Amino acid sequence: MSNASRNRIKDQAFYYFAMACTAFALLVLLALLTDILSRGLSRISWDFITNLPSRLPEKAGIFTALCGMVWILVLTILIAFPLGVGAGIYLEEYGKKNRMARFIEINIANLAGVPSIIYGILGLQVFVRIANLGNSLLAGSFTLALLILPIIIVSTREAIKAVPKSLCEASLAMGASKWQTIWNVVLPSSFGGILTGLILAISRAIGETAPLIVVGALVYVPFAPAGPMDQFTVLPIQIFNWVTRPQAGFVVNASAAIIVLLSFTFLMNGIAVYLRNRWYKKVKF
Amino acid sequence: MVSKLEAKNINVHYGTFHALKNINLKVKANTVTALIGPSGCGKSTFLRCFNRMNDLIDTFKIEGDMTIDGRDIYAKKIDVTAHRKKVGMVFQKPNPFPKSIFENVAYGLKVNGITHKKFIAETVERSLQQAALWEEVKDKLHKSAFALSGGQQQRLCIARTLAVEPSVVLMDEPASALDPISTAKIEELIHELKEKYTIMIVTHNMQQAGRVSDKTAFFYMGELIEFDDTSTIFTNPKIEQTHRYITGRFG
Repeated sequence: MSNASRNRIKDQAFYYFAMACTAFALLVLLALLTDILSRGLSRISWDFITNLPSRLPEKAGIFTALCGMVWILVLTILIAFPLGVGAGIYLEEYGKKNRMARFIEINIANLAGVPSIIYGILGLQVFVRIANLGNSLLAGSFTLALLILPIIIVSTREAIKAVPKSLCEASLAMGASKWQTIWNVVLPSSFGGILTGLILAISRAIGETAPLIVVGALVYVPFAPAGPMDQFTVLPIQIFNWVTRPQAGFVVNASAAIIVLLSFTFLMNGIAVYLRNRWYKKVKF
Repeated sequence: MVSKLEAKNINVHYGTFHALKNINLKVKANTVTALIGPSGCGKSTFLRCFNRMNDLIDTFKIEGDMTIDGRDIYAKKIDVTAHRKKVGMVFQKPNPFPKSIFENVAYGLKVNGITHKKFIAETVERSLQQAALWEEVKDKLHKSAFALSGGQQQRLCIARTLAVEPSVVLMDEPASALDPISTAKIEELIHELKEKYTIMIVTHNMQQAGRVSDKTAFFYMGELIEFDDTSTIFTNPKIEQTHRYITGRFG
């Protein structure tokens, strides 16, 4: 066999191999979706979303878990966004680029890879006990904020790095201060990237269960939380709780709750993609 | 008469690299000075010393005296942002902000705390007229600056610089990314701006230096080799190196 035809066969083989890999990933996802949808879709109704928890599966709803999740999300964003963007701006614009900076950089990247349960244990000690927040929404939000902070910092830095230096120089050359340059030129140009990072971070936070269980989110909360110091539960914990029940009805409930959770995640990711495209169209360099 | 710009025994280091060696140069008001020399010779570094843009580089260190209107611009009490307002700069590539044409020109005023709407509108119009761009953009002031051609964008950047009323305008190869027609417009503009401003321009284009400048400074390896009237430099340079560079035999 000639070299050329052997190469052509290898080429073909790799093409099919790559395609099979893609197909495998998609098929698994498809199988999961069909399974969940066939079990849970019929259970989704307005009642399911607005009902309080119950020991009867057909009466139980996800209202408290959904409320808890929205509370957690809002509080987590309020805490993590300013902290993460501020830290990103400092590291990229103010911090000297020396050995210390590289050390910090590596460690932030490392933090993004720390298992979430570790954050839970940290949150339990620092926020629940030392700061004495108890097993409240606030303690949970601070813990999740810590968890997603590295993602926000890294994406903020990447977004700022992508702003052409010449734009900043032009602003400075006109007598703008560093802060004015950051506020008027750097942030507007990088906001699409920062926002994308935030949303991706948030959609990670939505799915987190372990750290919240550790800081004391409850599996059963009779009422929707009314303030940041209230006890709470979130959807993943509710799902976890339901699948451990023996009654078949709760498994159906869990499937329905998973559909709601997945829709939420898809929605967030969709918004992230939309914002990124819109921003990049507006701001090209 | 006091020189508009003056450099006395200027030495610049980037870390261990000695970028400018003992530069002495005086520039009169309302003249155009061209800085020429091969890449890496230090001409851009020298230009950027005048508006303290090199301060942004961590390893930058300068020694010697640099004055504008007789005032030491590296003195401790100098407010760098206020100083940069007086020394405008136009960059190699057109770099308009991702804002409207109007907002681009108004930017310098706004960051300097001016909020008077009528004053801003008048300044924007005057600056665009000075930059010979007004007629082309007056009907689309609120369109994005990116909708303009490269040459128009560069004139917008000049207008933006003029809006804060500097007395010195530094230009770092302002026409190197432009087509010949846009380049001709920029050169014509430099001629007109000389009336009001003192201009220093870095260029790699010998003909351009010959066309637009009154004085020419030839830099090589961080040293100022020769500084004289442009006509003298191009017809009768005193130093052999200068002669070889402008006739294209090295660099």
